[in-house]
Amino acid sequence: MSFLEKLGRERLFFDGGTGTLLQAQGLKGGELPETWNLRYPERIQAVHKAYLEAGSHVICTNTFGANALKFPDGGEWDLDEIVRAAMDNAKKARAETGREADAYIALDLGPTGRLLRPMGDLDFEDAVALFARVVRVGAAAGADLVLIETMSDGYEAKAAVLAAKENSDLPVVVTTVYDENGKMLTGGTIASTVALLEGLRVDALGVNCGMGPEQMLPLAEELVRLSSVPVVVNPNAGLPRREGDRTVFDVDPERFAAVMERIAKLGVWGLGGCCGTTPDHIRALTAACRDIPVTPPQRKGRTVVSSFSQAVEIGPMPVIIGERINPTGKKRFKEALRSHDLEYILNEGFAQEEAGAHILDVNVGLPEIDEPAMLEEAVCALQSVISLPLQIDTSDTEAMARAMRRYNGKPMINSVSGKAESMAAVFPLVRRYGGVVVGLALDEGGIPDTAEGRLAVARKIYSTAAEYGIPPEDIVIDGLTLTVSSEPKAAVVTLETLRRVRDELGGHTILGVSNVSFGLPRRDIINANFFAMALEAGLSCAIINPLAEGMMGAWRSYCALAGLDSQCSGYIGAYSGQTAAPAAPASGTELSLEECVMRGMQEGAAQAARGALDKGAQPLELVNSALIPALDRVGQDFEKKILFLPQLLMSAEAAKAAFEVVKAAMASEPQEKQGKVVLATVKGDIHDIGKNIVKVLLENYGFEVVDLGKDVAPEKIVAAAAAPDIRLVGLSALMTTTVVSMEETIKALRESGSGVRVVVGGAVLTEEYAGSIGADCYARDAMATVRYAREVYGTENGEEKA
Amino acid sequence: MILEADYGEICRYLGYRRDTPPDSAMEQTIRACARRLEQAVTPRWVSREFPLTRLPDGTLELGEVRVESKSLSRNLKGCERVIFFAATLGVEADRLIARAAAVRMSEAVILQAAAASLIEVCCDEACEELRVKAEEEGWYLRPRFSPGYGDFSIAHQRDITALLQTPARIGLTVTEQMLLAPMKSVTAVIGMSRQAAPCHRQGCEACGKTDCAFRR
Repeated sequence: MSFLEKLGRERLFFDGGTGTLLQAQGLKGGELPETWNLRYPERIQAVHKAYLEAGSHVICTNTFGANALKFPDGGEWDLDEIVRAAMDNAKKARAETGREADAYIALDLGPTGRLLRPMGDLDFEDAVALFARVVRVGAAAGADLVLIETMSDGYEAKAAVLAAKENSDLPVVVTTVYDENGKMLTGGTIASTVALLEGLRVDALGVNCGMGPEQMLPLAEELVRLSSVPVVVNPNAGLPRREGDRTVFDVDPERFAAVMERIAKLGVWGLGGCCGTTPDHIRALTAACRDIPVTPPQRKGRTVVSSFSQAVEIGPMPVIIGERINPTGKKRFKEALRSHDLEYILNEGFAQEEAGAHILDVNVGLPEIDEPAMLEEAVCALQSVISLPLQIDTSDTEAMARAMRRYNGKPMINSVSGKAESMAAVFPLVRRYGGVVVGLALDEGGIPDTAEGRLAVARKIYSTAAEYGIPPEDIVIDGLTLTVSSEPKAAVVTLETLRRVRDELGGHTILGVSNVSFGLPRRDIINANFFAMALEAGLSCAIINPLAEGMMGAWRSYCALAGLDSQCSGYIGAYSGQTAAPAAPASGTELSLEECVMRGMQEGAAQAARGALDKGAQPLELVNSALIPALDRVGQDFEKKILFLPQLLMSAEAAKAAFEVVKAAMASEPQEKQGKVVLATVKGDIHDIGKNIVKVLLENYGFEVVDLGKDVAPEKIVAAAAAPDIRLVGLSALMTTTVVSMEETIKALRESGSGVRVVVGGAVLTEEYAGSIGADCYARDAMATVRYAREVYGTENGEEKA
Repeated sequence: MILEADYGEICRYLGYRRDTPPDSAMEQTIRACARRLEQAVTPRWVSREFPLTRLPDGTLELGEVRVESKSLSRNLKGCERVIFFAATLGVEADRLIARAAAVRMSEAVILQAAAASLIEVCCDEACEELRVKAEEEGWYLRPRFSPGYGDFSIAHQRDITALLQTPARIGLTVTEQMLLAPMKSVTAVIGMSRQAAPCHRQGCEACGKTDCAFRR
């Protein structure tokens, strides 16, 4: 029987630790264990044999650290040869113990030891490629399955799973590392990891390393409770302890087996060991657990999406999906997309998170932009700082595919329809990357005008999804909100659709709620009431504006009234201490605009600017007579060390708030910009705080900043600097190692024939050092950069004007 | 136990001096940012002892790691063993700072200063724990010495993280360009000697960059 035939049905025992056994045979601390596949094949085979003889069914190749980072091409060892030798050793051991019929060879993939971008410098696709190479060699050499283990980052685990699935047909098992609170080092929880891995269609999942069996008990219980696929538990032999120069583990084989017996009885299928466990541990384990009947995993049927750190379950509590990351009808958002202003998009996300959204819809579709690139970028930016799961919202299949691939979790997808073409495009992506997909109840025949018609489309969506292996819980049906002012029965049909999807199909539903009120006055009133009705009709998730108080009020009220908000604590938490209506805004500050900026008062500055404009001040005059002088004063005080960086930035933020007000007042007039500056933290460097400070100040002084971010390749900087209106490029680097990239970038800029000036800054730089790498200017702080930028653009502007 | 960042150090990193301290509003903001950081992060550290040998040509051998560094050699004078040490605040600190940078840069710089202080506090606590344990066994510890100090090459961050298996154990990695990721992390070597050393030069006082704006 194959591994897959036994999966979840017949008990399989995994092997135990390798490192400790090899160290006992003389492996040194700094030595790469994988080299022993070639140097001492008989020792590796002996380890495999010992485990097979102890009762293991799954033996792991000695390839934990076999990747091109540790074994680079052209180095002392050939990676492919190491992997082939590891496979040979496992096969030989299996043959020599006569276990070819019931033992399986797992191609072992451990973590790369690097952090993925943006927290580290390893690109997601590079991680996929590192794993892919090992998978290809291992699969060709006859591995029975791929075991991805000891992962402490779900994102890296995703890269490994994609590599395994895209380069072999082998079953994939993934075990990750948690601490005693059930958290991964990068923030993931058991629930978020189960959602991610099930979405990626792994064959089994679980936990290994990090702790002993006792500490793993509660985690194993949680895994069995949440997972629909078989669970694997491979603990250490307790916690490691140093005895002199040796690492020892304190759980002996008998105690290990006794706890593993309890773990098996929880319904865990695959049992084995990790660090510190020996063939004796596995022998005791198999003896204790051999006769415990296997409980096949139960399908949980939960509808779950996840981010790197959070799982959000849809139902029984209705879920709020924030709709504001969407350019439709929003001039400012469109402008942000055109000017590549990711910060604006992030802030839309933060505001909705604070307002109580559970998931964020992300739509960046605009005819004149490269949507696939923009969506991927927006998703990556959002997921690196926001812990809410995202809903990828696009009708462009390429954009959808790229965003889903890079998404760090199990996303929500908006959307598929009942049209054959749509399902053929979207379902393969959901199958491959995982996701909960919104199914629009419309098809080639248009939008059915009865609930019966919409249910028929929903049934078609469910059954077609099933053909792709997508379970019904991964679909939510959009009952379609139409405009009630043009079609009196519109809302009634929608509500009936919700009820019947829930009652007749046992499915979940979604609506973009506010469409109902187009063309009506005071849309907020009817929106909130329709929302309440929809919730009562069974709506599972709603795409709304969470900043609209009426909508959140309807949702909180519904939860409290429907018995979903225990002791009304959510409702009370949101509204206690408030009177019926929100209090009137505090009366305006008496301080002048200049004072507000100098004191770093954001609200005050905006109010003062508004007040001055109301009294008839000219926008430009306000800028030149109040804002700029205030900023100059603050800048001078900073340089004189009378005030310090936080105050400088607070003043900048206050000035920015005032500028926004002024800008809105002169929306019709052409905006005068001081000039356009490219900023980047150079390749290989992930410390961008200095660059970000410079950006804030340059923008304050009226410069337009093209912010390329951190870890930016020279080519990208050269390309950005080639734009006709760029005269200045600012580069930052933290350390001597990354100043090398800075030098390369400056060289590339010069070779491109670009006449731009280059200003540099960073902790290890000095005037002399900056000169030696070819920079035009060394800026010791952000104000120095501003001064230089004014010099570059100011004098040249002056000449032009003259 | 939740570690607390050192308020005075945060102010120093932000550029304040004893005679120009933050005003009370700023002090409140700084303290609030520090609390937020302390609650968001999970500091982690690992360590392991190795024997120390001095080869005739002056090269140091720390376990199996060979180091050529006069500064480290001076720091380890009279030592027979060393402790490899690594600590990190984890990705949450980076995330918090990155998020603040998109919303309010003034908070990002305060959080970044608070994180710089907090990782030092974490190292101090951990080293105190190591010191107490070592003294029970008759060892005295030298001040921790990190790659990048003096002529102790930052390339040795790779050896320390590999031997301590920091990627798997505390989530600390080294990038291709030798930066530590997560950013708020430390690797160091701590000498173990049978004699108590009178010298306790630490931090700024031990650093060769005498023109540094942040020098104490």
